[in-house]
Amino acid sequence: MSQQYVLKKENFNNFVEKVMADYDFIAPVKAKKNILRSKSLYQKISNPEDIFLDDHSYHTVKGFFNDPREKLFDFDGNKIINPVIELRQRVFFGLRKCDLNGIWHQDMVFLDNKHQCDPFYKARRDVSVLIGLHCNNGFEHCFCNSLDLRSDFHDLMFFDKNNDFIIEVGSDKGRKIIEIASDFLEQGDNLLTEEDRKIKNMGHELKTTNIKKFYHHEDWKTKGADKCLACGACNMLCPNCHCFTIEDDVDFSLKKGTRIRKPAPCQLKHFTRVAGDHIFRQDKTARFKHRIYHQLQYFQDRHDVQFCTGCGRCIAGCPARIDWIEIINNME
Amino acid sequence: MTEEKKETTETGKPKVAFHDITGCQGCVLSVIFNEDELLDIINAVDIKEFRFIMGEKYDGPLDICFIEGAVVNKEDEEMVKKLRERSKVVVALGACATHGNIPSLKNWADPKNLERLQYQKKHEQMIDVPNPMPITKFIKVEYSLPGCPPDRDEIKKFVKEILLGKQFYSYPDPVCRECRLFENGCLLDEGKVCLGPITRGGCRAVCCHNGFECYGCRGITDDAQFEEYFKLMEEKGIDATTVKKHMETFAGVEINEALEKIQEGKWAKLH
Repeated sequence: MSQQYVLKKENFNNFVEKVMADYDFIAPVKAKKNILRSKSLYQKISNPEDIFLDDHSYHTVKGFFNDPREKLFDFDGNKIINPVIELRQRVFFGLRKCDLNGIWHQDMVFLDNKHQCDPFYKARRDVSVLIGLHCNNGFEHCFCNSLDLRSDFHDLMFFDKNNDFIIEVGSDKGRKIIEIASDFLEQGDNLLTEEDRKIKNMGHELKTTNIKKFYHHEDWKTKGADKCLACGACNMLCPNCHCFTIEDDVDFSLKKGTRIRKPAPCQLKHFTRVAGDHIFRQDKTARFKHRIYHQLQYFQDRHDVQFCTGCGRCIAGCPARIDWIEIINNME
Repeated sequence: MTEEKKETTETGKPKVAFHDITGCQGCVLSVIFNEDELLDIINAVDIKEFRFIMGEKYDGPLDICFIEGAVVNKEDEEMVKKLRERSKVVVALGACATHGNIPSLKNWADPKNLERLQYQKKHEQMIDVPNPMPITKFIKVEYSLPGCPPDRDEIKKFVKEILLGKQFYSYPDPVCRECRLFENGCLLDEGKVCLGPITRGGCRAVCCHNGFECYGCRGITDDAQFEEYFKLMEEKGIDATTVKKHMETFAGVEINEALEKIQEGKWAKLH
């Protein structure tokens, strides 16, 4: 049984400020300053009042682990100069179950990979402490109850119970935070009922994750791809999507430069362009299906874990609101 | 590309000229806006003619000729044709040269309005011009650097890739890709007619990032989903004529051609 602590809500800001002294504090905030019409996103904060917990964030946290312009190395002729990533220890607060599972899936790809561990991802991941926040209620497009997700992947987990936060410790990294902020915490035991661990009132339900038999179903086209604008928003907002492309950027000496890694969305036509200008997935339906099948089937076939974390961001962020959950639910 | 490379080695540096026909000169200006690297550009290539920064005239052969502006009269047409003959590689620089841009708005304006807006009678000869069109309609261009104005980093990237003897690919993906990367919300959700999903990006979504909807100045992607876009707008209660007006602002020539081919040209006819 993991240890539990109680943090009174009135002490929450003190807790955050205490942690902030030793760590960079990253939490969901409502709008980026001086940028119009932004939705909630993860940002480094300096004022606990900025934290926004009413909804799960519109944008994901994945950019903090895989930089959108990750510098792989500098080159000077044939000489390679490896970058040094120096980051302050940082805390992520307010990660929901879907975010945490998303990070776990990224770990599988970039960290626990049998063949190679990605040093850039590792450097960012090593300095990160993950503090989760349990959703008592689901949100409009969520469906994580329909999926088999881990609920023990966190360093600390916050449960919002009446006037308190009940904190569950998941790792040594988390225990360190508890030690730092011990002034505001009281130790407890068995403070959570089964009911507290559930997520209620979920907006959506996915009836089946076994979609192998639907591969040739025409609804993929008529209800899905025919509405798709091929903008790639679903990929960019997904906590799991991690595909990337690599570009070289040279200076005018034409010898010195940088190699950069950028995220690449699979819903765009040029995602599958190869040498000779051949494009494998020209067809929009094929692209649409590929994303859904990767989320629900291909990753599972390979790692025995469901990839999709049921956050519904791809539906909430889609300009055309293509609800692929409904598409699958109505398939026979 | 081998051809250019050979030429580069013979002369040391490729001979380059920046020319402009009818336009606002903003595109050649965005070349100069690369202040930090302008000297690098000048050192890397042999600039023969560039009336913004030098007085010399030159009428010999060119390796790379950048042309800004739309063709709006006979002189423009003759000029681009002559430049084409002199140049190995012609680059259409900016939205006027690549897509017709604002000058081409005349093509779908009501003729009655045009009469009213014409100059005084003494200038009548100047008004009698063909419909403004991008230079791509008159001559073959090897490369296009679209945008109003074109992205100054893309101009630098283009020069470097040419010097390296590489094939230059302009950014193929929609504006939305970069827009979401910068963690913006979606302007379509705000009820704006944002052309992001059908417009070629590479501009770092500069308009949307600052809260202004995309007007499609970089032209359409080769994967533009017009039918889906019109359908979505209809669902949002925005009629096709309004959407079409947005589309025609910058890349009207190209978009109308694309619309001719779908739905029996029903949207192409809207004006």
